[in-house]
Amino acid sequence: MITETVELAGHILDSLTLPKVLDMVISREADYRIVEMEVGRTNLDPSRVLLELTTGDSETMNKLIAELHIQGANLVGDADAEVVACETAGVLPAGFYATTNLPTRVRIGGTWIEVSYPEMDCALVVDETGARAVPMHAVRPGDPVVVGQRGVTVEPPRRARDRSAFEFMNSDASSEKPKGLIVARVADRVRAAHRATPPGKVLAVCGPAVIHTGAGPDLARLVAAGWIDVLFAGNGFATHDIESNMLGTSLGVSMAGEASGEEGHSNHLVAINEVRRHGSIAAAVKRGALTGGVMFECCTHHVPFVLGGSVRDDGPLPDVITDVVAAADAMRSHLPGVGVALMLASTLHAIATGNLLAASVETFCIDINQAVVTKLADRGSHQALGIVTDVGLFLRELADNLCRD
Amino acid sequence: MCPPDNFGVVYEINPWMHTEVGPDPDLARAQFDNLVATLTASGAEVEMLPSETGLPDMVFTANAGVVSGGTFVPARFRHPQRQGETPLDTAWFRSNGYDVRELPAGGCQEGAGDALPIFSPGIRPVLVCGYRFRSDISTHGAISSLLGVPTRSVELADDRFYHLDLCFCPLNGRRAMVASAGFDRYGMAVIESLVPEPLILDTEEALSFCANSVVVGDVVVMPACPPRVGRILESWGFSVVVVDVGEFLKAGGGCRCLTLALDVDLSDTCDSQAT
Repeated sequence: MITETVELAGHILDSLTLPKVLDMVISREADYRIVEMEVGRTNLDPSRVLLELTTGDSETMNKLIAELHIQGANLVGDADAEVVACETAGVLPAGFYATTNLPTRVRIGGTWIEVSYPEMDCALVVDETGARAVPMHAVRPGDPVVVGQRGVTVEPPRRARDRSAFEFMNSDASSEKPKGLIVARVADRVRAAHRATPPGKVLAVCGPAVIHTGAGPDLARLVAAGWIDVLFAGNGFATHDIESNMLGTSLGVSMAGEASGEEGHSNHLVAINEVRRHGSIAAAVKRGALTGGVMFECCTHHVPFVLGGSVRDDGPLPDVITDVVAAADAMRSHLPGVGVALMLASTLHAIATGNLLAASVETFCIDINQAVVTKLADRGSHQALGIVTDVGLFLRELADNLCRD
Repeated sequence: MCPPDNFGVVYEINPWMHTEVGPDPDLARAQFDNLVATLTASGAEVEMLPSETGLPDMVFTANAGVVSGGTFVPARFRHPQRQGETPLDTAWFRSNGYDVRELPAGGCQEGAGDALPIFSPGIRPVLVCGYRFRSDISTHGAISSLLGVPTRSVELADDRFYHLDLCFCPLNGRRAMVASAGFDRYGMAVIESLVPEPLILDTEEALSFCANSVVVGDVVVMPACPPRVGRILESWGFSVVVVDVGEFLKAGGGCRCLTLALDVDLSDTCDSQAT
């Protein structure tokens, strides 16, 4: 909700300007409240009215203000956001406004500007290209940064609007729901994202358990069929996916149910070493060293992926971005246009992605452990809907459902 | 009035202007002289404001400002092409003894072209002020206080009638020509509350510029007169005189635009009929 106060003065009663303005407010489906009204005593005295206008979004308010300006109604007061230019690269000015991931608007020069991609824990930079959330490390000297709370509005989370997505789950995370129904609804949301105009991208954030639970082939099917548009993971997920396809084991344990082979504990290192020999996963695919699996399908179908590193990674794979700031920036660059995010048995990468996602992205967190979902919500990703189940079963049903199409 | 020595269509700031359809200077001069003669013969006295090179629209003196008694409120033109007229208009009024009162900065107001008074015997005069295309409603409060007259603001709805004097012509205290296409329903309601017997023009009639007429007593000097309009005006006791100002219509102005009435007094005590 956006609220503005305008003043209308003059012979506004005899000229029917006031009824006309009120009609215009109503026809824009906005609301008004008469805050103050002084009626002239003689027909020479001007009348004056102070109107408080409320609209659902900034675009409607800007249009309404422009229309009412022609009728002589002027904005009262200066509620523009205050901006201060950054002095030092990577250092925000004192009193900087810290963002949430909720829809955010900034008022500059009497006009409300939508923040293009709200991300939590960033600063707001406002320039001629618009308003955007910028992480601390990315501000440059001279960037106009919003300071203080004035002239910034945040739209509270509205579950009602997203009933289509969430009506089947009332609690945030539950193990008490029929899984088949839930999987079908998630599949519907994925289809809906792809059908939207413009089409929304589907993001998969994957933990190694996807491979350990045997769901690698199901996720690979989803990638090959075009249902996944971008993939985030760490060294572990990619390594075990590659290991299981090169050597038939995941962390040394046979995927086919046979007993652990000799030296199985080093299989993942063999797989990493093989990819490092080729220089990248894509090169290993190209030269026939890797012939199946999720990463293979990503390379084959040109699905972009970001592998973010961590301190305990073995190897790591050459594709892993070991500078965490660079990894987060790489993830950020893929987020515009994402409509649905599937957090698949991943704790670290799910929370990292949750930090970057706008609250408007439908986020499904599939984990056997309810704590992961709670953790996401506690860190501000309130939009995340938890599905407490085995990720292997979930992905099999999801792939069966979507790949039927 | 201002002679058409420098008149021409050299820019396009209204839907009627097309620079490729320029007026004939000699014909324009002859039409102007004929209009002056007609107004004089009808009983008006005409004062001349010298024209200036580079200001082709200065002939349209209706837009110079708003006059009331000895007070002149100069226009604030919307377009830079006409803004050069204001210092010359102001100087003329000042040298003729007028008290010049400026509008506050910020809004536009294009003189009597967007401000037409209604005088009814025994009732305080009311100034009907048009806004949207050339004038801003924000100036109406200042006009009211500078001239001590109640104003009624009416929004203009059709840019072919970009000034009020193209769709509204008060005839006397009860009657006026009104082109309903020029107003929205709020503006029409305001006009109807002020004019008990409107002569409602249909769009075709209004596009003949017949509302852009000068009323001198009982004589209505018109750029064109559709037959139905002429019959009604005559039945109301007016004499209709049609003057060809075709060269000026190419710039979007008719008889009314070419004149600025000086015998207007909007103060409360005056109940005289001005043109």
